[in-house]
Amino acid sequence: MLEIRNLHARLEDGREILKGIDLSVGDGEVHAIMGPNGSGKSTLAAVLAGREGYEVTEGSVSYRGRDLLEMPADERAREGIFLAFQYPVEIPGVNNTYFLRAALNAQRRHRGEPELDAGQFLRTVRAKLKVLDIGDDLLQRAVNVGFSGGEKKRNEIFQMAILEPRLAILDETDSGLDIDALRLVARGVNGLRTADRSIVMITHYQRLLDYIEPDRVHVLQDGRIVESGDKGLAGELERRGYGAFAEEPEPAGTA
Amino acid sequence: MSAVLDFPVKPEARDYLACFAADPNEPAWLGERRRQGITRFAELGWPTRRNESWRYFDVSRIDQMRPAKPPAAAGEDAARKRIDAVAFAGAGQRIVLIDGRFAPALSRIESRPGVWLGSTAEAIRKQPESARAVADTALPHDSEAFDALNAAFFSDGFVLHIGPGIAVEDPIEIVHLATGISEASLHTRSVVALDGGARATIIETYTGDEGRYWRNDLLAVRLGEAAELQRVVLVEEAAEAVHIDGVSASLGAKARFAEFVLLLGGRNVRHETSAILAGDAARCEIDGGFVVSGRDEANIVTTIDHAKPRGETRELVKGVAAGRAHGAFQGRIIVRPDAQKTDAHQLSRNLILGERAVIDTKPELEIYADDVKCSHGASVGDLDAAALFYLRARGIPEAEARRILVEGFVREAVEEIADPDLREHLLQRLQRRLAALEE
Repeated sequence: MLEIRNLHARLEDGREILKGIDLSVGDGEVHAIMGPNGSGKSTLAAVLAGREGYEVTEGSVSYRGRDLLEMPADERAREGIFLAFQYPVEIPGVNNTYFLRAALNAQRRHRGEPELDAGQFLRTVRAKLKVLDIGDDLLQRAVNVGFSGGEKKRNEIFQMAILEPRLAILDETDSGLDIDALRLVARGVNGLRTADRSIVMITHYQRLLDYIEPDRVHVLQDGRIVESGDKGLAGELERRGYGAFAEEPEPAGTA
Repeated sequence: MSAVLDFPVKPEARDYLACFAADPNEPAWLGERRRQGITRFAELGWPTRRNESWRYFDVSRIDQMRPAKPPAAAGEDAARKRIDAVAFAGAGQRIVLIDGRFAPALSRIESRPGVWLGSTAEAIRKQPESARAVADTALPHDSEAFDALNAAFFSDGFVLHIGPGIAVEDPIEIVHLATGISEASLHTRSVVALDGGARATIIETYTGDEGRYWRNDLLAVRLGEAAELQRVVLVEEAAEAVHIDGVSASLGAKARFAEFVLLLGGRNVRHETSAILAGDAARCEIDGGFVVSGRDEANIVTTIDHAKPRGETRELVKGVAAGRAHGAFQGRIIVRPDAQKTDAHQLSRNLILGERAVIDTKPELEIYADDVKCSHGASVGDLDAAALFYLRARGIPEAEARRILVEGFVREAVEEIADPDLREHLLQRLQRRLAALEE
């Protein structure tokens, strides 16, 4: 699904953030990328989604056999990549339903499928609303405007449910959520796990992984993956802290 | 005109003076008003950029047009087609003015008890007490020249007078259609008078075929106690047209005047609202916006005068300029010493697309009372890059994402319209305009 090789990226001001990332995500796998603040987690998500303001200086990213870095952001999304934003953007005046239908229809056009009209679209989304406990009223409001932190994050996962991506990147989707909201979001994500959909979760805390069980866990430190392991690695991180991985990477489970 | 004027006549007024002729069939009061108008215009000439509220408007293009009166009759079939394309399907009654003249065959007027609706010309003959208000529209001094010229030359207009406590539920549409057949100078003068507790919604649609013309339309609004008028102004003039329209509104106690203005087309377009909150606890709402591109110019100019206590003003105006276009909003709010407990809020937000478009925004609060709540805000900016990325990250192609954001930007003001059908109609007109917007 996703092959990242020796990925280096820097900000426009020249600061290098990613210093050689290697990561391979197979079909249907769920990977967690954990790391302290400033380790490059969100930069990795941004570079994969195609956000402007980052320059890839070295390395490659291949997505389903294609060079991902060649594609503009909107094409990546139409090819099945979904980024759940850490800070979903408020867009006054743009109705949530209108936005979602435009997004879904852009993807359907791309796949050569007929577009959905307003009625067809509403029928499609109604069922998915229930899973995430999202009210109808949220559909009629402007995108993320006046949404609580939890509503914004649920709205992200709701979008993921509608767009049915092949590869979802969840950027700190757990941040700012209380335990009930976290459970709802996790239920939403777990409901979307399939054999051909891969998920990359980026998180600071192990908490999310109690609800969404990853196949692989990676520790990101200073722009590099310094440790990879199974879900047990997350527990170890929780006990020992990121500091234990700062210098010489140790094999998992030695503590 | 044979009158001897004892002051120097402005050069731009000479052609207008030459073609001025009083109509002997009109009542004396109107003939007098027309003479006052042409005399005043001869004295004033066009406003210049030294007149504060005209500093962003290019008056010189009017001078390139002749003061010709429009031909009396225009083809109704072509007009019908045009009206079908732009009119509001949800309108109950409709008055069509072609080149400033009432077109009865295209209009739809029902007789209802306590409601008088018809052309200004007819009102002057049959309903003089309602029509008299055409004589005393009062635009602020800066715009007096256009008021005066309009008084001298107006060919027709409409009059709506609703008796006490009567509500007309379905919107009344006025279509101002310019055929552009000659380089005409079009002037209409209209009145909306709502007696105490009366209610109505009107939509005035300005539309033009190709051709050069300039128009100058005035409306007097008189609202009695607790009367409520929702007025929509939609301007989609021909590409080369000059459009100037003004409304002078007087609000009685607890009256509500809600105006929505959307300027979408025409070379030089200016809308002016002047409202006086003459009674206690009146409420004035002015919302809307403009979309300009190419080398077009659009101005929204408002003056809200709080003369009595507990008045409320709400203004939300959204401007969009692309290409080498120029937009401007000038909003003045005056709070007189008597107008304690005034609550006024004005917001002008503007979006610039591209490198060469310009928008000026100039809020102006003049407050002479001490116990008031007044605020204003103004911004001019580019499309929000974070929002653009958010849409693109969902697969929406860049051009479409930009259009969605621009539409959303203006839409915020459109949402202020309470009637869902009217709101939908304006959104469709807006979407149509934005689809043709180049950057």
